[in-house]
This record gives sequence, structure tokens and C-alpha cells, in this order.
Amino acid sequence: MSSEFIVTPADKILVTGSNGFIGARAVENLLARGFFNLRCFVRPSSKLEKLQKILAQYPAAQGVEIVSGDLLSREDCTRAARDVAVVIHLAAGFDKSFAGAFMNSALATRNLLDAFLESGRPCRFVNVSSFAVYSNLHLERHALLDENCPLETAPQARNDAYGFGKLKQEQLVREYGVQRGLKWVILRPGMVYGPGKPDLSGRVGINTFGFFIHMGGSNELPMTYVDNCTDAIVLAALKPGVDGEIFNVVDDERLPANDFLARCKAAKNFFSVAAPYPLIKIGCALWEDFFNKRQGQLPPVFNRRRCAAEWGGNTYTNEKLHRLLGWSQKISTADAMNLFTARNK
Amino acid sequence: MNLRYAIIGCGKIADQHVQAARRAGGCELVAVCDREKLMAEQLAERFSVAGIFSDAEQMLKTVRPDAVHITTPPLGHFPLAKLCLEHGANVYLEKPFTVTGAEARELVALAEQKKLRLTAGHNYQFTGEMIEMRRQIASGYLGGAPVHLESHWAYDLSDATYVAPILGSKTHWVRQLPGQLFHNLISHGIARLAEFLEDDVVVSSQAHQSGRLKSLGGQEVKDELRVLLRDGKGTTAFFCFSTQIKPGLNSFRVCGPKNSLLVENGSGSIIFNRAGSAKSYLTYILPPLRIARQYLHNARKNFMDCLTGRLHQDFGMKELIARFHASIREQGAPPIPYREIVLTARIMDEIFAQMRAEESRQ
Repeated sequence: MSSEFIVTPADKILVTGSNGFIGARAVENLLARGFFNLRCFVRPSSKLEKLQKILAQYPAAQGVEIVSGDLLSREDCTRAARDVAVVIHLAAGFDKSFAGAFMNSALATRNLLDAFLESGRPCRFVNVSSFAVYSNLHLERHALLDENCPLETAPQARNDAYGFGKLKQEQLVREYGVQRGLKWVILRPGMVYGPGKPDLSGRVGINTFGFFIHMGGSNELPMTYVDNCTDAIVLAALKPGVDGEIFNVVDDERLPANDFLARCKAAKNFFSVAAPYPLIKIGCALWEDFFNKRQGQLPPVFNRRRCAAEWGGNTYTNEKLHRLLGWSQKISTADAMNLFTARNK
Repeated sequence: MNLRYAIIGCGKIADQHVQAARRAGGCELVAVCDREKLMAEQLAERFSVAGIFSDAEQMLKTVRPDAVHITTPPLGHFPLAKLCLEHGANVYLEKPFTVTGAEARELVALAEQKKLRLTAGHNYQFTGEMIEMRRQIASGYLGGAPVHLESHWAYDLSDATYVAPILGSKTHWVRQLPGQLFHNLISHGIARLAEFLEDDVVVSSQAHQSGRLKSLGGQEVKDELRVLLRDGKGTTAFFCFSTQIKPGLNSFRVCGPKNSLLVENGSGSIIFNRAGSAKSYLTYILPPLRIARQYLHNARKNFMDCLTGRLHQDFGMKELIARFHASIREQGAPPIPYREIVLTARIMDEIFAQMRAEESRQ
């Protein structure tokens, strides 16, 4: 079974953020593939019921280590990375401030990379990033957004601290590849959805003013069901011949935003108002100009870059996932939507 | 000529300083410094700053800034501020000013000796409503010295994002402070009491842990604090810090021998309570109408200030930075009297000492 992979089940795999929305499923996916030599890295404050429930389903998972710590601590990173062959780096700190996002993403990753190269048996570092790193500002509406599209150059102007952290995190990983020979794979999941994550993506709309404003119109959503996304991440960790590759992660079947919203409302109705794109575009431009004129009197939540990235709309491809990782969508979008809406009722 | 300032400590609060200083104007950020150079680089990149350092002394020697804003965790405040003063830089020190009152006194003495200026990050002292309150008191509205003060300061723990890392790690810098969570959160609420209390204030405090914090695995960390204070002149004060009161109370009441004032920081309002009574049942009708009219006045004023650009969510910090920088340029008095800074630190010392004594008794 393992001959098709770069590591055997005897090799240690570290999953950071392993108690999170995607992380717990990544652990489950690895266990289902017979990889039991896992080290699950969790925050000290994490409640571990979700992870423990998964581990309890696999008697052979008794040897799975759960290591609690902070990736901002080099000592904790060394404990996490010791003797590890593959790192699946999923830990993501959500901080509204740019400095906080940078710390949780880039600085934490730097510590982990150093520890991995110094204390591990490095075969591959899988960095899970985000679609937030792309700049859509100069892309035509509904143009194809693939792995070759330009990255955001002004995340501060877009008011996207998370995207800034992810951009810097990716940059570090690539630098370590060039300077220290790190073998890496980067995945950029689109809109990951599934049970346990009830909030609707900003690409569908926003809940800022006390009711839901549907901003996404009939744009195609870069959606990926959490189990399908996890499958891509685990394959990226194991498959040979993909070092230095970047993958966008989206499912084969992708719904338009209005259809997605309608299905969510059918499961649990709520009030929403649709905003047409020309109005959104003008509103964002005016808001940005007012922000600049008044030196930030209003928070820069609406601006041209965000408008293009989230509400302009693009088309997507997962051709590379299929071709290089042999990935296929295991859970159909119809089933995924049923699971999502049933649990989030 | 622009005042040249630097920032030491490039974490979350540093962004707020850079943006507020830009709005204040008349200054230029010439260097950023963080022990973790990547942090300095990210700040410098976002705000186009030329000087990037990971060593504070090297930064001070190379750049020779007029002022340094220290925005590191509090344990670094005293040594870094001392270093800056010794190198001839004026210092804006984020709250809490220092870890102990003794450190605060030492810094003030050093600043005076070096003829440099110091200020503490008590920016909520400079919001529009607090400035108006000060103006009213100076004009004699209270009818004499304050008789009683009440300061409520709240911090919402419904979202555990802030507190979870603190509870999760005993080595977190907040856990290293003598007053733990309180140490990082109560300075603003205490500082406004220190403005009106004499130095000989007697402090009596009680602290406990809320059910919410307990449910988050709070261990020995406390998050509810009540303090009674009285100075030698008989002015009394009450301070309440809470993570549980909803909606979060953030207010300051100053009661005088004739009239009283209530400042509500949450809504940017100031309410004047004048002495006097109405006849019979009008007591139940006229005073509420007067108060309602005042709230309407506050709403109208805030709306107009918002339209004209005067009202800004971070007005207090902009105002404090502008006044601090002006005091350096004009060789004037610092925006916060040193007596208040030192008294704030001493009151906090006393509260934390009583907390520890209570813990040992238990």
C-alpha cells in the first residue's frame, strides 16, 4: 500500500492544528489509510473531544501522540518536529490584526520549519494556505483563477490580515526551499465547508449590519467539502513527485452562490437581501476613498481589492489535483450539501 | 520639522500607534525594532519604514530618535524605557506603565534628571468626552473638589480568543505579571481615579474568578475585581472591573458637593446631573426628561463630529500622541502628570499585593 507514497506507515507524520475543522479530518484520513505513527499538535487550550472521538474509532491508533504546545515557542516546535518525516501544517491562528496574523502564520511556521529541518527526518512539508493569497484586482470577472494567477501585493489595502499572514507563510516556505533545501507542497483550499463550520463564507455574503446581505450573486463558488479538501491535503503529503508544487483545492461540482444560499436557507431560513454587483463595486470604491480621505475614520472593511477577490467572481479548476495527485471528489456536492445543512440547522 | 520617532515592540498595538501618529501629524516613523526581526520587518514593510532593528540599543545609537513608543509586553517596559531615556529619547510607554510602582518612580526620576518627557498609554483619558469632563470640572461645575468617584471598566470574555492562549500557557507573559489578567487590563480604569485622588490613598480590594473563566479552565487566574479607595482628604472612590457585566460597563462618575457628572465611554456621552428637585410627582417626570434631552444632545454632537471627521474610534490615542509629541517639541509639560502615572502604578501594586495575601490566606 505504502509503495505509492513517499513515506511508509512506520514514518512519523506531524499534523499541526489537528483538533481543528480540517485537522481532525486529516488525522482521520491518515488513520483510514493505515498511517498510525502520527503526532497531533494541539493548542494547550484545545478541548480534545473531537480528536479523541476519532482516535477511539481506530484501536491501532493507541500510539498516536497528542502534543500540546504553542508554535510560537521554539522548544514546543522542537518537541513537535522531533523524528518527523512529513509535516502537514494546518494550524492557523485567526487574528484580526496584521501583526497577530503574521505571528500566528509566518512566525509560527518559521519556528516549525527550523525545528523540522533540525530535529526531524524531513521528507516533505505540506503548507496549507488559502485562496486569500490571490489578487483578483486585475482579473476580468469570471476569468479562470488558477495556480498561476498573481498574488496579492497589498493585503493591507484589502484589509485582509489573514491573507497577509498566509502570503508571508508561503513566502517563508518557498525561501526555505531555495535556501535550505526544504521539500514542500503548498495547497490553497477555496471555500471549505462542512458540518462544524456554520458561518457562511464572505464570498456568499456578509452579516455585518444585523441581517445577511447576499453579495455573491450567481458567482461560481470555489467550494470544497471538508472531507474532499482533506483528501487532497493528505495526498499532497504522501504522493511522490509533487515537491515544489502548488495546488488550488476546489471540488469538481461547484454551486453558484445564489444556489448555495438557497439550499442553506431551505434548511434554516433567515432574512437576506441581495446586492447587485455594480452597487457593491461602487459602494466598495466609495468606502475606500472615504477611508483614505478621512485617514481611517471608518474601518477599511470594504475596498476595491476585496470586492474583486470576493464578489467579482471567477471560474476555477482542479485539473492539477487530478493530474498530479490522482485526487477525485469522494463526496458529491449534493451529499456534501445535505451533510452541511443537516448539521448546521 | 517633523518629530522623529521609533517603535520598540512590533506586535498588535504597534499598528494602532502608527496609524494614530499619522493622524496626529507632525511626526515621522524612522525605525521599528523587535527582538524578533521578522516582526519588525512586517511592520516596516506595511508602513514603509526604513530602519529595521532587532536590538534596541543599536537602534537608539544608529537612529537617535526624538521619541520612542514602547509597545512590548509589560515585562520589557522598565528596562527598555530606561535604556531609551539613557540614550536621550523621550518615551511613550504603553499600559501598564511598569510592572511595579517602584519602577514607575525610578523612570520618572530618570526622565526628570535627563530633562526628557515620559508618558503612559492611558489613551482613554483623552477621548472627547473625557476632555469635556475635565473642562467642566476645571470650570467649577462640581461646585468644589470631587467627593466620590466611580470607575467601571469591562472586558468581554464571551469570545475566548484573547484569554484562551493566556489560560493555556503558564509561561504566557500575562501570567508572569503580578496581577495577571488584571495587570494588563485595569490601568485605564485606575488612571482616571488617580487624576482626582491624593497620593495617600488607602486601597481595599477583593478579587474572584467568574464562572465563565472557570468554564474556560481558568486555573488560578481571576477576572472580577472590586476596589474601594479613600484618600487623606476624604475623597472616596469605587472601581469595578468585570468580564461578566452585560452590556459591558465602561463609565466614570464624578460626584461633587453641588453637581455630578457621568462619562459613558461606551457611547461617547457625558451626562450632567444638576442638584435640584421638582415638586411632587414631577420628580418622576422632569429629571428623566432632562436626562433624555442630554442623551439626545450627545447623539447629535457625536453624529455631527462623525460627519465632520472629528470623531474617530481611536481619537484618544491620536490626541495623547499629539499632546505628547507637542510637549517634546515645545518643551512643555507632558500630557499626563507624573504624579498620576506613579499613583496609578502604586494603586495597582496595592491591589495585587492584597490579591496575593488573600490567596496565601486561602
